[in-house]
Amino acid sequence: MGMKHSDLHECSQLNELKMDMSILNMISAWHLSGDNILVEQMPIVGGYSGGLEETAICDVASTIASFALLNADIHLGGPIHIRWGTTTNRQSMQVAAATAMALDTNTDILLANQYYTLAGPCTVMNLLETAAQAICDTACGRELLSGVASNKGVRMDMVSGMEARMMGEASMAACGMDIHDANQILDRIVSWYEKFYFNIPQPKKFQDCYIVDEITPTEEYMSIYDSSLDILSNCGIDF
Amino acid sequence: MTAPRYVDVFDTYNRFISGDRILEKDWDYYLLPNNASLMKRRYGINFGSEIIPEDQDMLDRLFVAGIDMLITTGVYNRDTGTRLKLTEDEIYEGLKMAPKKLTLGEGKDAVECTARRGNSMNKPIIEGGPTGAPVSEAIYPTLIESYAQEPMVDAIVTGVLETVKGHPSVKNSPWEVRATMHELTYAHNALIAAGRPGMAI
Repeated sequence: MGMKHSDLHECSQLNELKMDMSILNMISAWHLSGDNILVEQMPIVGGYSGGLEETAICDVASTIASFALLNADIHLGGPIHIRWGTTTNRQSMQVAAATAMALDTNTDILLANQYYTLAGPCTVMNLLETAAQAICDTACGRELLSGVASNKGVRMDMVSGMEARMMGEASMAACGMDIHDANQILDRIVSWYEKFYFNIPQPKKFQDCYIVDEITPTEEYMSIYDSSLDILSNCGIDF
Repeated sequence: MTAPRYVDVFDTYNRFISGDRILEKDWDYYLLPNNASLMKRRYGINFGSEIIPEDQDMLDRLFVAGIDMLITTGVYNRDTGTRLKLTEDEIYEGLKMAPKKLTLGEGKDAVECTARRGNSMNKPIIEGGPTGAPVSEAIYPTLIESYAQEPMVDAIVTGVLETVKGHPSVKNSPWEVRATMHELTYAHNALIAAGRPGMAI
């Protein structure tokens, strides 16, 4: 029961450049207790702030506010698209990439990003969305990747450990990669799954894509995972 | 002007209390979008077609635009109906206070989250989990264990329990608090079952 000092004590700013008393109250206790503090803010791409560049400007400002006003140890972003409700679409990744690189090349602050995909578990699309964002975040210098909330994080039990495996595998494969090369690979992967935005594949709940008693992915999910690795290899990433 | 000290969460509260009063709708529909647009023009921020920017000069201007946005606009508190402001020096003091390294978890399951400074060969920390997605009570511990058992996963991010003992975890109710406590208990049990009890949540 309870949390350790070394756990990530998480709370959220509000959209955009806003907060409330509850975040201040939570942080005051964590700060005085010596707890790790993670402050989250998911800017809305196409929301109050406007277009891509305006959203990135607000994202940089919100991230800095976490450290300058809220005693954050690490900031968790996640630009979310007003139409798609995901972080893996091209525009959200553009905002996330620009924000991360602007901060990473000018400060030493710790940056994280979170994953909201359109497709759900046991689909190639979901794994490719995850891989694309992991490549993008890793190439941009982020320090922590948090996910994956499949199916936009709104459908019951539509998550599993396999998506986190892909997040880690793709991230490791992207470490040290040249930015120009990463861009070319990203364009190929995103172009692959963008065409399914209006016809997303049928996902499976955790209970239906894992052998629950053994906590093991089904043969079907393993086959889909391997197919996804093949597609990613063809896009230019070496696992 | 040199800042006498960094701004902590208590100073933040004091500044909101004495801040200038603004209507939230004016913030959302006038002040924030107008200033963001102004900063875009002032610093000539334009993204190309590529996903990751390759123009370092533009990235440096974006960083300065973000600082200017924070100084010019401030931050709004919807409970007090006020906004606070801070200076450039206070911002840099806050950035200096930020850790460059963070230990997550305990014992042999602890991991170091260290500033990577560009796309280094050091893999980012992988925090696996439902990331706030809804999870049913019946499978919660098992589902969390599916993340904890992955070698790639360094820390856990939990999901939201839809019900506790059959009761909906209604926002701002005792059931929401109980749901949070149950989430933690289930997560701890999952970490123990996976043989990684010290992993960070």
